[in-house]
Amino acid sequence: MKATILRLISTATFALLASQNAVAGDLVVIANSGTNLSAGEVRDVFLGEKQFAGSTKLIPVDNAAQQENFLSKTMQMNSVKYSGIWTKKAFRDGLSAPAMKSSDAEVIQFVKSTPGAVGYIGSSASGVNIVK
Amino acid sequence: MLTTKWVTKKGNVQRKLGNLFYVSVLGGLLISSTAVKAETDAEHLKNLENKLDAMQNELTQMTSGMAHHSTSGAGLPLHGFMDVGFASNSQATPSNPKGFYVGALSLYLAPNFGDNIKALVEPNFEVTPEGTVATDLERLQIGYTFSDTSTVWAGRIHTPYGYWNTGFHHGAQMQTSVMRPRFLDFEDKGGILPAHMVGLWSAGKFKASTGKVTYDVYAGNGPKVAMTDPTSAPSPTNLGTLDINLAGDNNHQAMLGFNVGYEFTGQLDGLRIAGHGLKGDVDDNASAQLNKTELSMIGGSVIYLANDWEVLSEYYGFDDNDKSGSTGSHKSWASYAQIGKSLNDWTPYIRFERTVLSQKDNYFAMQASGQSYARQSLGLRYNLNQNAALKVELLNSNFMAEVGRTAVSYRSVYTQYAIGF
Repeated sequence: MKATILRLISTATFALLASQNAVAGDLVVIANSGTNLSAGEVRDVFLGEKQFAGSTKLIPVDNAAQQENFLSKTMQMNSVKYSGIWTKKAFRDGLSAPAMKSSDAEVIQFVKSTPGAVGYIGSSASGVNIVK
Repeated sequence: MLTTKWVTKKGNVQRKLGNLFYVSVLGGLLISSTAVKAETDAEHLKNLENKLDAMQNELTQMTSGMAHHSTSGAGLPLHGFMDVGFASNSQATPSNPKGFYVGALSLYLAPNFGDNIKALVEPNFEVTPEGTVATDLERLQIGYTFSDTSTVWAGRIHTPYGYWNTGFHHGAQMQTSVMRPRFLDFEDKGGILPAHMVGLWSAGKFKASTGKVTYDVYAGNGPKVAMTDPTSAPSPTNLGTLDINLAGDNNHQAMLGFNVGYEFTGQLDGLRIAGHGLKGDVDDNASAQLNKTELSMIGGSVIYLANDWEVLSEYYGFDDNDKSGSTGSHKSWASYAQIGKSLNDWTPYIRFERTVLSQKDNYFAMQASGQSYARQSLGLRYNLNQNAALKVELLNSNFMAEVGRTAVSYRSVYTQYAIGF
């Protein structure tokens, strides 16, 4: 019973904190636990300019729930320009634009399980490298 | 009786022992059940989570081969461009018709095979001025990425001079204007340079102080000028077009080129300045009179794409050497500048282009598109969405009177509906 009550309290607290983070517009860039990146490299990763971290191929993924925030804060551009850049990249260099995930949970799951994966979410997560 | 009583007593004892056993077992089970329940509360979810993670990792490993084919995990996407339009002009010619037209359908695939190996395949379908549909293997290139600073491609590529040729090429929806600068058009549509090449191309980018250095270095089959009638000598009525020698170099003289640029960051983010050059021997295929010219081009480009401005400018200087005759070297040049400003979904733009091509230079004299000209373009583009654009463009073209060529002037209007996917 005590355990159940504790779980309920902790869940409610976590939900409240998560909600507060989302409201505050926080953004956290995460990478697979085996991938080390610096905050200054994030822009290049999401523009296809940086494709490798050491010998590991980087796999950036977009997050529909956070993309607008990410593009304006980290990339300093809107979705039209971002899409245009990737159209040219794909055409000239044969690169694939980042796949789109629909939520923080999907991004966390993908980044945790995929070597070289890099994504962004609205609050911190465990089991991944926090880049920013 | 005693026996019976003993037996009865014994039975009572057995029943009591049996009851005690059942109670013990039941108690044990209950205690065990409680323990299991306690574990469930504390650890069962954790164990399940661990199992799920392990299964997920296994699945990832099992599908990693497939994932390499597409990082999106959604198969191999098919991209492409297509455009249709309407044209009218003050002086229609067979190569400059009026009316509705179908532009091109260009499809491309960019599969990855592991972390380092990739390919680009681009079949293209377009309508010729004669009204037939031409199919072309626009690009077929296989690459190996060594690092962020080096990718080497082999196959048929878009020749990486300047900016326009590799930046837009058949992607009408990507370029702001309807028309390419004429001298940078495709070999059979007015271009004076080999827009395609079969060979090797190394490209990369690396950081340098406040910006990035970009480079392209390439070597491949030099083009030839394919005459309309190879059995007759080149003349004003028998001119040719550049042929990229897809199946092998006809004169075994490689074409070499480079394009080195600097991309600024910070306050000048969006500005790129580059220098490019190209060298190689070009023959014609006329059996009666073979001309060989050493094509030698050097020039540069300045590109600015920021703050809703698009400024594109490229310059090509030629100093070609006559290797089959004794006319020496001949200088020519070609250039354009285009400026556009995006106002939400609208982009008005203007472009000036000019070529001064020496007719003593066999390289230009033998080409149907080797006539000097000046052209001014004024246009307006409207983005219906990120993938579709409507454009209208007015052009004023003046072709110069030169040896063997007559002056031609006309005005045209083009509309275009272009999409990219």
